[in-house]
Amino acid sequence: MSGSGQTHDDHRQWAETSHCRVSAARHLGGFAVLELIAPRIARRAAPGQFVMVTVPGEGYLLRRPISLFSAEADCIALLVEARGRGSERLTRLEVGDVVDVAGPLGSAFPTQGVTNALLVGGGIGCAPLQYLADELAAAGAHVTAALGFRDFRAARAVGAFTIERLSVATEDGSVGRAGTVLHLLAALDVAPGTTVYACGPTPMIAAVQRWTFHEGLRGYVSLEAHMACGTGSCHGCVVDTARGKLRVCSEGPVFRLDEVTP
Amino acid sequence: MSDRRPPAPETDLSVRLGPVELAHPLVDASGTLDVLEYARRYDGDYLADFPYAAYVPKTVTADPRTGNPPPRVTETPSGVINAIGLENPGVHAWIAQLGEWAALRAPVLVSVGGNSPEQYAAVISALEAHLAAAPPGTVPDVRGYELNVSCPNVVGGLQIGADPTATAEVVGACRAATARFLLTKLTPNVRDVTEAGAAALGAGADGLSLVNTFKAMVLDRDTLRPFLGNRTGGLCGPAIKPIALRMVAEVARAFPDTPLVGMGGVMTGLDALEFIACGATAVAVGAANFTSFEAPQRILAELRDEVAARGFGTVGEARGIALRA
Ligand SMILES: Cc1cc2nc3c(=O)[nH]c(=O)nc-3n(C[C@H](O)[C@H](O)[C@H](O)COP(=O)(O)OP(=O)(O)OC[C@H]3O[C@@H](n4cnc5c(N)ncnc54)[C@H](O)[C@@H]3O)c2cc1C
Ligand SMILES: Cc1cc2nc3c(=O)[nH]c(=O)nc-3n(C[C@H](O)[C@H](O)[C@H](O)COP(=O)(O)O)c2cc1C
Ligand code: FES
Repeated sequence: MSGSGQTHDDHRQWAETSHCRVSAARHLGGFAVLELIAPRIARRAAPGQFVMVTVPGEGYLLRRPISLFSAEADCIALLVEARGRGSERLTRLEVGDVVDVAGPLGSAFPTQGVTNALLVGGGIGCAPLQYLADELAAAGAHVTAALGFRDFRAARAVGAFTIERLSVATEDGSVGRAGTVLHLLAALDVAPGTTVYACGPTPMIAAVQRWTFHEGLRGYVSLEAHMACGTGSCHGCVVDTARGKLRVCSEGPVFRLDEVTP
Repeated sequence: MSDRRPPAPETDLSVRLGPVELAHPLVDASGTLDVLEYARRYDGDYLADFPYAAYVPKTVTADPRTGNPPPRVTETPSGVINAIGLENPGVHAWIAQLGEWAALRAPVLVSVGGNSPEQYAAVISALEAHLAAAPPGTVPDVRGYELNVSCPNVVGGLQIGADPTATAEVVGACRAATARFLLTKLTPNVRDVTEAGAAALGAGADGLSLVNTFKAMVLDRDTLRPFLGNRTGGLCGPAIKPIALRMVAEVARAFPDTPLVGMGGVMTGLDALEFIACGATAVAVGAANFTSFEAPQRILAELRDEVAARGFGTVGEARGIALRA
């Protein structure tokens, strides 16, 4: 199924639920980095894939889709931002707590044959980029990352990242360069043939898409959508693409940058 | 689930839904579980391990449908609201995929949608023609149909189910197109759910399923504008269970010996038993499928325990208890 340039079905998805113990929890303002013992997920995962997390406690019906922030040996890590009720509850998980997690799900970022990679993230959209950077670097690629945030509070997430060549912008100028991630891109010296990987809010995706076309680069994007099943059953998570309506949980979340219509 | 108690094997959970023998009363609710998608994400042989007693696929229509604009689904207090809009590839592309899940052991009740009697009948006729010509082993075990006249998210769907005359026309056209078991799925968005039920049965339906979702609305908390792309959607999940139970009881009382599939907010085995107590023959599980891949196995184990704990020899002994004077 995995035709050239296609992201669909490059990686196997797996949906059985694992009861995962939190082995480490780091809190960064409104964010948390949660490390979970999840050998079956960690072993199969690839960057860009996500998991469906059951929010512990009463009153949460749907599971929350969360990207893999890293996966190594027996552990996965998640970078969670408290946005609403459920994600706020997840950021309060403590070491020893047990959560139900299903995954890995969805398509992965293609990394084969990539020598120069530019990772562009906005807000919590940055979450899948650490894992991607780790894999690309391990494969010998030259990795540069540009992350943009609204303000000082949102930029607390930067503390979770360990990407070597990393530049940061905030719209209020409180951290890194003042401006958006586009200002960071304009200042970069980008090698021809660089592969761009983007995830973040819709306006950022649209701007990165325009910039990428203009620079003659190709790339991939990870999209978000409201989900019910997370496993291809309900058609709740579709987005419009050049290939028609596709499901973010199944054909995505990773799509080719030139096929999405943000 | 490793911490589950071993099931009590002496409890007979099998039921007969009209002519269809079910190993237990639980089926999936249309649109909430796709057997092929699950099989792709499962380590073993999902088609052999399918946990429900029958499979109800997502509603299929005569022509392909692209569905509603996103967003299409979100959580509500104790519920889920959706406005998918019957996205499906159309009956011909749907039939072309049948071979991929032909090995499913469970009987199949095909959910059919449309905007006119002709469109409903066209789906059934196309499938019947295919089944008649198909070599053994190349198609799943289709035993019947569930006519979805009750989708609140498409122009036509809900209106048919809210209008007894239109319901009877759809059922009549479908009855003429198949000899197989025919369920009609009723909408709860009416004053008296038994009116459409009577119309469906009068036009030749063998049984009824209820409820489909309640027409509802959620707002975007920032903009105070309708959140769903379709503006309105259908509400399901625990929030609707008490109303669904009342409606199932009304229908069971009105049509005592009719095969009934009850649904609406079933999350536990006790919920399922409550629908049976209100007169349901079988019980469909929808939104609970979104909570866990293993939800049906858990609900079934709980149902078995509930039936045994109450001293019933068979699940049928619990049927209709809530209807007694
Ligand atoms: C593929 C994918 C990967 C994601 N990765 C991450 C990540 O790594 N870290 C992180 O913090 N967040 C991530 N998100 C966003 C995260 O899923 C939402 O922030 C979260 O679901 C919000 O839940 P809530 O209960 O706090 O919000 P509420 O608004 O109370 O949630 C109500 C419902 O809406 C859904 N919902 C609300 N906002 C979003 C959203 N932006 N995207 C999808 N569903 C939403 C919820 O899942 C829930 O069903 C990802 C989303 C997707 C689709
Ligand atoms: C995402 C979603 C999609 C649905 N699609 C269909 C459908 O295609 N056909 C149909 O008859 N009912 C459909 N339904 C309704 C369910 O089959 C069921 O009637 C309803 O959800 C009530 O059961 P529940 O509370 O257990 O979910 C859908 C429900 C949901 C949540
Ligand atoms: S969330 Fe159900 S199909 Fe994607």
